[in-house]
Amino acid sequence: MATEATKNGAMSKDLIVYVCLLVLAAIQFVIAYQSISPTQMFTRMIVVAVIEASLALLFFMHLADNRGLLWFVVIFNVFVLFAMQYSWTDSFRISNGVPWAK
Amino acid sequence: MSTTTPGEITMPMPAPAPSSLMEKPAFSVPAKKMAMWLFIIADTATFAGCLVAYGFLRNATPNWPRPFHSITNLAVMTFILLTSSLTMLNGVRAARAGNKAGALRWTLITAALGIAFALLHIREWMALIDEGMTLLKNPWGTGLFGASFYSITGLHLTHVTGGVIALIVVGLRYKGGRYNADDLEVLGLYWHFVDLVWMFVVPFVYLLNLAH
Amino acid sequence: MHDTAHAHVGQHAAPTSFIRKHVFSLDHKVIGKQYYGLALAAVLIGMFLSWLMRLHLGWTNLAIPGLHLLTKNGAPGDVMTPEFYLQLMTMHATIMVFFVLTTAPFAAFGNYFLPIQVGAEDMPFPHFNMMSFWVTFVAFLVLMSSFFVSDGPTLGGWTQYAPLSAVGQVGGPGEGAGVVLWALSIAIFCVGQLLGSLNFITTTLDMRTRGMSLWRLPLSAWGWFITSVMGLTAFAVLMPACILLILDHVAGTSFFVPANTVINDQMQPHSGGSTLLWQHLFWFFGHPEVYIAIVPGMGIVSHVLITNMRKPMLSHRVLVYAMGALAVLSYMVYGHHMFVSGMNPVSSLVFSFPTLVITIPSTIVVLIWMGSLYGAKLRINSASLFALGFISMFIAGGVSGFFLAQPSIDIMLHATYFVVGHFHLVMGVAAMFGIFAGTYFWFPKMYGRMMNETLGKIHFWCSFVGAYAIFMPFHYLGLAGNVRRYQAFAPEYMQHLIPLHKFITIAALFTGAAQLIFVYNLFVSRYKGEPARDNPWQGTSLEWSTPTTPPPHNNFGDKLPVVYHDPFQYGVESSTGDYVMQTSPEKAGPDDEA
Repeated sequence: MATEATKNGAMSKDLIVYVCLLVLAAIQFVIAYQSISPTQMFTRMIVVAVIEASLALLFFMHLADNRGLLWFVVIFNVFVLFAMQYSWTDSFRISNGVPWAK
Repeated sequence: MSTTTPGEITMPMPAPAPSSLMEKPAFSVPAKKMAMWLFIIADTATFAGCLVAYGFLRNATPNWPRPFHSITNLAVMTFILLTSSLTMLNGVRAARAGNKAGALRWTLITAALGIAFALLHIREWMALIDEGMTLLKNPWGTGLFGASFYSITGLHLTHVTGGVIALIVVGLRYKGGRYNADDLEVLGLYWHFVDLVWMFVVPFVYLLNLAH
Repeated sequence: MHDTAHAHVGQHAAPTSFIRKHVFSLDHKVIGKQYYGLALAAVLIGMFLSWLMRLHLGWTNLAIPGLHLLTKNGAPGDVMTPEFYLQLMTMHATIMVFFVLTTAPFAAFGNYFLPIQVGAEDMPFPHFNMMSFWVTFVAFLVLMSSFFVSDGPTLGGWTQYAPLSAVGQVGGPGEGAGVVLWALSIAIFCVGQLLGSLNFITTTLDMRTRGMSLWRLPLSAWGWFITSVMGLTAFAVLMPACILLILDHVAGTSFFVPANTVINDQMQPHSGGSTLLWQHLFWFFGHPEVYIAIVPGMGIVSHVLITNMRKPMLSHRVLVYAMGALAVLSYMVYGHHMFVSGMNPVSSLVFSFPTLVITIPSTIVVLIWMGSLYGAKLRINSASLFALGFISMFIAGGVSGFFLAQPSIDIMLHATYFVVGHFHLVMGVAAMFGIFAGTYFWFPKMYGRMMNETLGKIHFWCSFVGAYAIFMPFHYLGLAGNVRRYQAFAPEYMQHLIPLHKFITIAALFTGAAQLIFVYNLFVSRYKGEPARDNPWQGTSLEWSTPTTPPPHNNFGDKLPVVYHDPFQYGVESSTGDYVMQTSPEKAGPDDEA
């Protein structure tokens, strides 16, 4: 495959992504020490984690070089992950006692 | 992984079919790489199932304990795992360039980093056990804290351990000529995935439970 | 390197030793037959258990001679205890759902025919394939071993609802080691399915021979492909759920047990968990599982019907899209199993909507079958009869799904025989009919001999009439308020239902006995059947163009086939008669792409 040599060739690109990931991980640690509500903290954490995961998927796992596979993996995964979220309302009902309380 | 393990098949291999005899694979991805991606999709569902279960219970439990004080160990572990992804990339790159010795060296460095991660992880577990946190109970609150912590990090640690073994085996067999650069790349995908999962385990299982 | 990398995976030389040939074989055809054998053994055990249950339901205090041999203390004086009844029920369901309905139509036929239908020499990972069978076999042994532990197998139902399944021995007899073995067996089973799914998907995506574009795959191959995509993530969630259940049970964690749970007058030491969490995790797998059981059947039935109708389906693509839509929707509807679980009532509405939507692709599939059958000169043989039977069962069982999809109606019908009738028809019997259709259709290719048609037709009519005689009255029982999983009918309003139960029991014994005709036919035809030609049904897809019957070790001899057509060139003028095989370069008509 012609792209093979180029996509694995750029060490500098890997290093940039690596540094970005380290910075993002550091940001997570900083967020952990902020005095904010758990909900806010969760939101910030998941945003950073998703950015980290996207970087790793695109550049470490080279999905950026294969558009078709990228869509297959992302759509499949995101769909299954979303389908798993139905249970949350029951979790909130345990803590709050009613369907959509507070 | 290999379908041609010596000793298992005594007959000589038939000549590989020229690719013009077959349709182009979907997404232009060869079978081994495709299988690894599919495994990653399935494993994502496995980890997501565990994390959703953990989130479900954590959210439903008032006064969930937030006992972690130091993040130094965690930061070192995260740094090691992220770095091991970089060394894995170097290994695959060396293999692509035909540099067998370099590929083996980088792969073994990756495995060594994986071992370091696992050892730090186990040390952390030991410290937590010493503090009285077990699968069933802990000094700070609901017993579910320990149960979910050990389950999720244990699942991840299992993946790291399996990955380390695979890295050593595939690395050596690559040097011996049984596996090629493609196989190393496929294993690299797995290793990056283990890294990727850690990016979610760190914030949810550790950082959200940091004492203030 | 990349260009040839996908070509040589999966190739392996023909084995020479007995063990490599028949036991630890890498050949997908042998593995397919092994799966079929496992499913056959499992279905006979499962059917036998259902006989025992039916006898008990018809005649509560009936002593069944020798029953005490199956259980340590479940049958004093050969009369079934309530606990033993529930144990039999649980094992019947687990065996049937996992080791028959998942194993036979998907793993057995898929293993044998998917690689041949895409034109491959084998699956890309033969070692994984071999492991997937043996792992499944171990899972079956683990499940069966629970008959031999001190208080017998689990009695919690195949859904294994917490908290009773999670607290251990205190939950009652059969909630001890039986549950652990059950959960262990299912977790192992999940590994086997993962390995199988990896192989199925990569076979379809990467191993197609020249000319075999995705749209030229026969519908049966589509069915297996779509099923394996569902199975990939469904089983991946069930496995950790089972491990958490084992942790709760063995280690004493509290994932699924809330605080202040009192069971058998004992306060449980657990606290903090949620019983609903188990249901969410279980049904996240459990609903896709229903479609994992039925979609391969849809593919097989479509394939059998096209060949016997001698014309294509009204729309090949719409049928594929509809099966794909079923797969997608199957992940969005699981909560309709939980309408009365105490789940958030808002979720009930949220789940009800996609559940009603899922009837649309199901209806489209049925309408395409019916529309294609209209005006077709259908060849009547055992395979096509069972295909028609599949459609009949799927409609009859599916219609009650419209009712159950609505929470307000389901509240009344939930956990009654209405639901039992519904899923037995739409998933159980329909999928079984799919298996039978596939067996009569492909047996000649698998063993080189024809099955006996007369016995096949007798088997069909007995099964068809018998299945309706058993499961239609279930709907009536359910509407009359007969709760499922009751082992006797003490309340007065149930007394008048007992004669109907007796009728059902007789029908079940009769229908079960009719299956022995099939088993007899299978074994006798295997050795004494009329020798089969290479293409006995004048089919077009690749399995009918193998150089020998059964196919040689590498399926197509020394040359991979080249595909020129869609798999449904029937009813055309050609040199071979009214069909053009996929491998024939002959042009089949003005629209043919060859």
